[in-house]
Amino acid sequence: MKVTFDSYKPGEEIPVVQYLKNRKLRKYFNRETEAALVGLGKLTRKIELTPETPFYYATGVMEYQDYGLEEIVKNSTDGTGDFSHKLFIEEAIPRVSPLNLFKVLQNMALSFIAIEHNLVGDNAVIYASASGLLLLALHSLSNNPMLLGASKTYKDGKVEAGFAYVVKEEIEKSPFLYGTEKAVDMFRSWATNRGD
Amino acid sequence: MGRVVITGVGAVSPIGNNFEEVMEGIRNGKRGIGTIQSIDPCHLPGNVGAEVRKNGKPLLTESHIDRKEIFITQALDELIKGYGRIHRYPPEKRFMHMGAGHDYLDLIGYTNNHDEAAGNWINYSKSGHIIVKELSKVHEIKGGFSVNVTTCVAATQAMGTSFRLLKQLSAGNIIITGGFDSVINHLHYMAFYKLGAMSNWKGEPGHACRPFDKNRSGLVLGEGAGVFLLQDAEDMAAGEGLAEIVGYSSTMDAYKVTDPHPQGKHLARAAVNAIEEAGLRSADIDCVHLHGTGTYKNAIAETNAMQQIFPERWAEIPVFSMKGQIGHLIGACGALEMIGVIYSLKYQLVPPTVNFSEQAPEAPLLVIKDKPLEMKIDHILKLNSAFGGQNSALVVKRYVE
Repeated sequence: MKVTFDSYKPGEEIPVVQYLKNRKLRKYFNRETEAALVGLGKLTRKIELTPETPFYYATGVMEYQDYGLEEIVKNSTDGTGDFSHKLFIEEAIPRVSPLNLFKVLQNMALSFIAIEHNLVGDNAVIYASASGLLLLALHSLSNNPMLLGASKTYKDGKVEAGFAYVVKEEIEKSPFLYGTEKAVDMFRSWATNRGD
Repeated sequence: MGRVVITGVGAVSPIGNNFEEVMEGIRNGKRGIGTIQSIDPCHLPGNVGAEVRKNGKPLLTESHIDRKEIFITQALDELIKGYGRIHRYPPEKRFMHMGAGHDYLDLIGYTNNHDEAAGNWINYSKSGHIIVKELSKVHEIKGGFSVNVTTCVAATQAMGTSFRLLKQLSAGNIIITGGFDSVINHLHYMAFYKLGAMSNWKGEPGHACRPFDKNRSGLVLGEGAGVFLLQDAEDMAAGEGLAEIVGYSSTMDAYKVTDPHPQGKHLARAAVNAIEEAGLRSADIDCVHLHGTGTYKNAIAETNAMQQIFPERWAEIPVFSMKGQIGHLIGACGALEMIGVIYSLKYQLVPPTVNFSEQAPEAPLLVIKDKPLEMKIDHILKLNSAFGGQNSALVVKRYVE
């Protein structure tokens, strides 16, 4: 098993540009996607992915947003301090970039990693659960090594992302299969215990 | 390896509020798309949507209510209380794997309560993960649960991975799967509008979603839930089987997050993989229930995929899209559309695609129009594709005991 795990403090710059082949994509990323692309970039220095490598990903339940909610609320509020549907349509929507949708959809980290690393195989994105992620891998039709990943942005803007290149035998007896841990915690544990 | 059979269905949709009503809605070509009522339609740049209705009128809810939670709760009640079958299994042998859409945020409550200063938006938000976790407790589902959030293939992937799980676990286990979503709310509506993907149809609202039609004008957002009981054939009594899932595959385009791969290359690969897993050849597939969103690019990508899946008869194999009736349910679309698959298998009919009237030269598929096509149907290929480039395919077989 090859593992990477990275943690970024709130506001800390994530060096995603160093790991991008297509730097124009950066405008679509939120911090979680940036952290995920860096994590996988580091992992691919240790391993070589084939296009058919199965890729299963767990994204954290949202606690943090950077799609411009404050701007939407500010421009949707009328003189009495209440939400105004008219202002929402006429003032808030025009100020929101269409690119912001890419900062809220939960499959974007997986999608951008697929594009950057030419991954076209079996895939899924689930919420949070370590056991759910391991089950996806164990019931994959492929017996070749597969890619597992997880990320999470915390309420204060701290971001974590972890990846592992595994074969089924390495995870079929994992205690995380029977627990309620979050996927990102599993990668932190793997990285800490293995040191690779 | 077990045989994975769909033995029960619960549903809430723009064309019916239970399984039988949805089946009846398909039969009658019912249109679930109209002028949006659950949020103020005034000032909306486009104001059509496919809303769940109650007593013939769109269901109206307070802004603090996450509509998709209502839908999944109601659909599960129909499935669990209606069939009672889950109680044959101990809680540890019950699993739930659902597809869901993006988290709901009560923008009106958040704004009116002035919580934005403290940034407490999370108190006004609820995720599909939390909803499914709570429902697992209510229904004593202790084998495990997961929530797939791969946007428009979330439900199809949830059903596909449930198929894989039960196929390997075999008899003595039961899985509840499907999907639930509602994208008819301020923030979700705005997001899809900004992408430019929504229908700009100027005529009757019920005609706004036109899959594969020459005059297709974009997608229409919808809402609802579809849930299914999956059981191993060995666990079933006579007459309980509705359809059998026999193949599943998912692939990625690795192309663009905004567009499907124009050649449909990896969508076709997902289909071929699923057909192969089913032990079939493409010649064994009788009809295809496509994703059929009503956008220009989707029709081209799916036509090109069909040419690769069925090189000899791609223009002769009947196809169907349900989105002309129910719109695009995003995280739930594959689930509600599975009811269309069950309909075709049960009644041996390919329904007409509602609002398809004129063939597009760039998408010359055999889209059934006006009246259903009666034919022998043993195997259906069900396809869905996601914003972001994920593709999923299921092969579903007429259940024979």
